[in-house]
Formats: sequence, C-alpha cells, structure tokens
Amino acid sequence: MAITHTGRSIQDDNRDGRLFAPCRARCPVHVDVPGYLAAIAEGRFMDALEIILARNPLPSVCGRVCLRPCEDGCRRCLLDEPVAIAALKRAAADIGVYPAPRLARPIPGRIAIVGGGPAGLTAAHDLAALGLSVSIYEDKPRLGGMLRYGIPNYRLPDYALDRDIEYVLAHGIEAHTGVRIGRDVTIEELSAQYDAVLVTVGLQDSRALPIPGADKPRVLKALPFLEACANGESMDLGARVVVIGGGNVAMDVARAARRHHADQVRVVCLESRDTMPAAAHEIHDAEMEGITVHCSWGPREITGEDMVEGLRAVRCERVFDLERRFAPVFDEETVKEFAADTIIFAIGQGADIDELGLPVTPRNSIKVDPVDLKTSVAGVYAAGDIINGPTKIIDAIASGHRAAASIFRDLTGQGDTLESLDQESAVLGKVPDTMAAKVETRRRIQMEQLEHWDALHNFDEVELGYTEFEASREAQRCLSCTTGARLAVEKCASCLTCTRVCPHGAACINMGGYLYFEIEACHACGACVSQCPAQAINLETVSEEDLSRRVQRKLADRGMDTSLVFSCGHVPDTLLEAGPDFRAVQVSCLLRVSERSVFEALEEGASRIVFTRCTEGDCRFPHAQDLVNRRIHHIRKMLSEAQMSEAFLVTAAPDEDSETGVTTP
Amino acid sequence: MIVVRQKPLDEICAMIAGHRRVLLVGCNTCAAVSLAGGETEVDTLLQLLRLTNKRHGTFCELTPAVLQRQCEPEYIDCLQEGDYDAVLSLGCGAGVALLASTVGKPVYPALDTLFIGSAKGLARWQAECSACGQCVLGMTAGICPITRCAKGILNGPCGGVSDGTCELGDRPCAWVEIYERLDSLGCAENFDTILAPKDNTTRQICEWDMSEGCDEK
Repeated sequence: MAITHTGRSIQDDNRDGRLFAPCRARCPVHVDVPGYLAAIAEGRFMDALEIILARNPLPSVCGRVCLRPCEDGCRRCLLDEPVAIAALKRAAADIGVYPAPRLARPIPGRIAIVGGGPAGLTAAHDLAALGLSVSIYEDKPRLGGMLRYGIPNYRLPDYALDRDIEYVLAHGIEAHTGVRIGRDVTIEELSAQYDAVLVTVGLQDSRALPIPGADKPRVLKALPFLEACANGESMDLGARVVVIGGGNVAMDVARAARRHHADQVRVVCLESRDTMPAAAHEIHDAEMEGITVHCSWGPREITGEDMVEGLRAVRCERVFDLERRFAPVFDEETVKEFAADTIIFAIGQGADIDELGLPVTPRNSIKVDPVDLKTSVAGVYAAGDIINGPTKIIDAIASGHRAAASIFRDLTGQGDTLESLDQESAVLGKVPDTMAAKVETRRRIQMEQLEHWDALHNFDEVELGYTEFEASREAQRCLSCTTGARLAVEKCASCLTCTRVCPHGAACINMGGYLYFEIEACHACGACVSQCPAQAINLETVSEEDLSRRVQRKLADRGMDTSLVFSCGHVPDTLLEAGPDFRAVQVSCLLRVSERSVFEALEEGASRIVFTRCTEGDCRFPHAQDLVNRRIHHIRKMLSEAQMSEAFLVTAAPDEDSETGVTTP
Repeated sequence: MIVVRQKPLDEICAMIAGHRRVLLVGCNTCAAVSLAGGETEVDTLLQLLRLTNKRHGTFCELTPAVLQRQCEPEYIDCLQEGDYDAVLSLGCGAGVALLASTVGKPVYPALDTLFIGSAKGLARWQAECSACGQCVLGMTAGICPITRCAKGILNGPCGGVSDGTCELGDRPCAWVEIYERLDSLGCAENFDTILAPKDNTTRQICEWDMSEGCDEK
C-alpha cells in the first residue's frame, strides 16, 4: 500500500476520493468510516449499513471482533478517546436492515471457493455480486470458519455471524458443507469442474510445544478446545487451568475455560506485559473475569504422573534478538510451578496444507504471486491466512477482495469494477492545534455489558451493543475527517461569510483573493454551508436534497395534524414519537435545516414544524448556537410575514429519561 | 459593494399578484454578498411564496434563476426567451432597471437598495458612500459626511450633536468621528479648512461614457 502522510490541505486531494481519513486509510478494506458514522449520527442505520457493506460484507462480525486498526488512527485520539468505530459498525448491523443484494447480470464463469471463513465469504460475495456462479466448499458442518469455530460465542454469537453469512449467501451462492479437500474431493477435481478455484482454508493446525508431558491427557490445543466450546460440548477441565500463550486466542481460551467452571485460570506467556501480542482490551476483559496473566515465563515441562499436575516454567529474559528474530533467552535458575488440572496450548496456528497438493513456501503457507494471488497451478488462487500466516479478520477480508478482483480480471478481462482503493492515497494529517483547542472534549459512550461475574455462567454475549440513542450520540463524536466543506469555486460569490462563521479558520483566502478550505481544520459542522448565499459549499455526507427526501418519506402518510420535529440528533425518535402524530427527523445539527427545508416541509403538508434544540452541555457544535438562533429568528420573521407564525415552534430537548417526550412550549 | 435587503413579503406578493408565471432572478454579485439575492435566498423566497400561494389557494408557477450580475447585458441574454410573464428581481436597483429594459416583461424588485457599503462582520454592513460624484473623503479621513451625517453637511458638526451622538439618536455624529480620526492621524488642521459647496451638477450625471470625446480631433 502506498499511502503517504501529508501535511498539505489542498482540497483537490480529495476530488478523486484519494485523501482518506486515517480511520479509513488504516482499515485494510478502506471502509468509508466517516460516511457511515455521519449516517448513524442522523439515525440513518440502513444507510450506514449499506456504506459498510460496499467494502465489508461482514459488518456484524467485524463490529464485534475486529481488532479495529481504524480506531488507532482516529484523529480524536489526541483530543480524548477514539470514536467507538467498531461498536458503531455493530450498531449499523444490529439496528439496520440488510439490503437486498445488488446483483449484476449473470455472466458465464463458475468459481469454487474452498473454505467458508472470512476470506472465502468475502471473495464469494464479490464474485457472485459481479454475476459469476459461486460455490463454497467447507469442511465443517457450518460456514464461518474460525469466526464460528475459533471465536467463542460470548464474543461472537452464532446469530450475529449468521446475519452476515445469510447476507452473503443471498447473493445466490451455493454452499457445500462437510466436504473435506483431500478426503471428499481434490483441488484437481474442482479445477476440472470450475473455471477458477480459490483456496481460503485458513490455519487449521493448532500448535503445541514438544515439552515433556505434553502428551498427557488434559493437555489440550486451543482450536480443538474452542471448537468443542462452539459445538456446545460440556467439558470437565478441573478447577485449575493454565493457558500457555500471550495472544488474543489465549485470552479467548482462558475466558472460555472460566465458563467451563474452572475457578482458577492462569495465562502463562513468554512475552513481557508490554510486548504481549494480545490486544490491551482483550487482556483487560480477561482480567475482569478473574483470569491472571503471568508474563515472561517459558514452559519447560508438564508435571504429574499420569494426570496433569502442573506446569514448570523458567523465567524468560528476552523473546527476540536485536534483529527481531524469535530467539528467547531463559534464566534456568528462576523456576516457577503453576499447579493445574488442565493445560491448554494457545501458542499459534499453522497450516494443515499437505492434503491440498499445492506448492508451499518454506514458512509452510501456500505459495502465490503476491499481486494476483495465483498459485503455480493454473486457475487456482489462494487468499487469507493460508498465504499470509495469522492475520486479523479484516486482513483476511481484504485478501478475499483482492483474490476476487484477480479472478474476475482473469476470467473477464475487466478490472475496473473491483478496483483497488489503496493505490497512492494520502492521509489527512493531525488535528491542527488551533482546532484541537476548540473542539469539545467528550468521552466515549461505554457499551452496556453483562456483569463480569454473571457472564461466567454461560456463553451469552458479553457486550450488549449500543441503543439507537447511544449509537447516534457516539457517532456524533466523529470529527467527520475529509468529509467537510468543499467549495464549488465557479459558484462562489466571494462574500466571505464562510470565513466569518468558521470557528477553526478552515475557510481561507488565498493570494489571489479566492476562497479555499483547509480540509484538516474542518469537522463538517456545516456552519459555512448553512450561511452560503451562493450554495457554493457542500458537505460530502449530507445534503439538502437528502433531507428533503427524508422529510417526504416521513410525511408520506401524514394525518390532518402532523407535526414534523427536527431534532439535532440528541433526542431519540422513540421519545419524540410518543406525542400525538409527531414525526421526527434527526439531523446532526439544526444548522442542517435551512429556511427552505422548513417551508418545504410545511408545503408538503406538515401542519407544524418543531425545532428541538439540544441542551448546551450536549451541543456538538457550540459555535453554531448563535447561527441557529439567527436562523430561528429569520424563520419566525418570514412566517410571521406570511401570517403563519403558529406553524413554527422551538423547544428544548426533553430530558433523556422523560416519559412524555416533546414538551409543549 | 451595493447593499440590499429583502422587501416585506406582502409588498412582494402584491407586486406579483395576477401573474401566473413568475421568474425569480437572483444576482451572484452584490446581492449575494448582501445575503439577500443569491441562490439560497432565491430558493428560500420561492419556497415561501409557494407556501403562501398554497395557503391562499392561489396559483402561480415560480421558476428560480441566478445571474452572475444583473447589471450586465451579456449576463442577461439567457433570460430573453422564457416561459414567464413577469420577473421578480433579487438584484439591486441597477439590476432591476437593466432587466426591465431588456426582457420586455414586467420586472419587480424583491429587494430595496440601501447604500454602497462595507462589511462589518457577519451579516452587517456600514453605509460608506452615496455616489455623489465629488469625493471629499481625502479631507475627511475616509468618513463620508454626505452619507454618514444625517444632514449630509460638508462642514460640521451641526448644533444637534450631543456627547458625540447625532440628534437623530440612531448613529454617532459623523463629524465628531471625522475630527477624532483626523486628530489621531495628526491631520487635525484639515478641520480648519472650510469645504466649498459641492458642484451638484455631478449628481445629474445619468450616463457615463468613458470614451466620450475620443473622436474629437
């Protein structure tokens, strides 16, 4: 990927969509994060879901278990906390309704995909959407791969995974489950039947250490253990479990073991606390469930006569050498015994590759051309962890996209439909200090969770997801990077109103006297858009036309006395609609509702327009308050001249816990 | 620039009453900068007129248009042919006048032209010039007594000033301001010069042809 950081703020960078917000740039599939957060901020969950699905066919999965490289890039990190991007993706998938698949006209070409994990499902989705005929072959009884059999249900329940899989399969994909390559069918046979074969079998082999005692009963490997959990098998692990490994899988295994009535679960890993590969939030969640993590210990022997009695480990002083090669150094004198009834290895996965009959690399992955993902066997491609080694789910999805694009190009000669988004993109620089000083700090909204001690009794999902209200509020924390003001220079009247209303100095005058926008200093509040007399400024994610359509939909079946409420995203629809025929349109700031929009809604048949203002403490754009006041004054004046004063009311947002909803002014 | 503001709605409605097809024409120069005649204001007024028509059960087809400048014949050309029987201009007086002389249909002003002025922040303007044809700003530290003095006197202040405020009570006395600025510039002696009465024939100029006299030998 050739993404370069830029300190420049030239608007033209964004013209061809190549200037990415850091969240979008860091996402391996470049989901339009600011776009879907803007939709959620206005309560448009279906729109948000469609935006996500354009790049990621597994939003319900990624909303729960993605390792969220996007959030590390969030420009809010420097102000307070990153926006809860993954949780909002989940909200879009949970609250939004999956759209009917958009399918291209069928074209000749049959594809077999071996492996129904994230890479396989993604490639199947892409190719089927392009009109090709796709069949998935899966070894396990159900689709999902590691998503189903490697991630415990308390993090990714089956229903959540099935939502995504149903959406993918709705593209007309055939799924053959319980078919094992090598036993039931060979790659060669598939090659003969299909125009292309894509191998996405992932890493199915769970590694263990060849230490003394590793062959005892009750010494388990992570993947078979997790699969048994996924299948709902009950297991007697004893009271004390030691999990060997320091990655996310080790945390999953440890938390799953807690749910199998192990009172004492300890994670023992080679790495120091700082260098453990597990994500910090995963470690935190494990510790909250009473799991203890013991760092810098190297397993030497599993002790006990016939049964496991414990793990003997020695102090590990260093894991990597100066060239970052794995070369652990131990202090054999410092020994520790971890008493245990069961020991589970979670030290990584490998490829189970022999039965495939494809050329392999020295690192035991399938050998492919890194650009087009072709193996050396004609018509056979590979993608996902089987070529990349262990990577994130979202990396597997990216790999699936790439393989699908390559197959489509080879079969049809067309490549434009599935263009790669990561060529020569620029990333928006950090928030300028002047802007950082003025942006309201707001903490992330914490998601409701099962109490940790309650969660231990079952495999129920721990994180309960945002409500619509919480999701909108959290999405409103987004700085809307790169989606801010764009100027149509040919329409600009050079009135300079934008420079007067922008709190961050984003609207600037160049040497020639022309206006331009510093895109880094713009968080798409829309103050300039709302005041521009020439309609020369636009925001990428919201427009007056969109608002018009939403108003029309809301008023489609209006009654004789229907009030239309515009609320600036701080009032849940449920509250507003508690009143007699109140219809609510949520906008992220009342500045988005122009005089014209108000008059248009009245002409559409609303008998009254209500502006529900946020309270000062909730206001996302405090600088806009004055402009909203001006607008309210203007609307009142004009409607009064038209003898329609009674058709416009302004009210403050009702209390969040209020039962009555709209307070009548 | 020329500062304008929208007329009261009933005045506008009265002018266009009786017309079935009205073209609303904005001006993307001074009127837009005055936040009164750009595309936004055209759309807003159009929508308000529609609403009013619906309320009164009257019908009038309203069409929006915006010209770059209404006071330039070349920009107006595109309006010559059109399916409308009256024009509502959201331009300054010059725009209305040129449209009226060009389109061959009744043209009505939706705006009142106030003055030639400068911006004083968001949506505020200061009257600066009355286009008198004989500029004295060089003697008055850039403050126009013709425009800013209620009486427009050339040698002030008059006896009506009180604590620096005009006897009208709605503005500071222009002549006090002139004195103070001259003083701050070290030119207070300008104040001693009695300005001669202006040649008011310049006010009579109704056309200015820059090439006048070019063909004289």
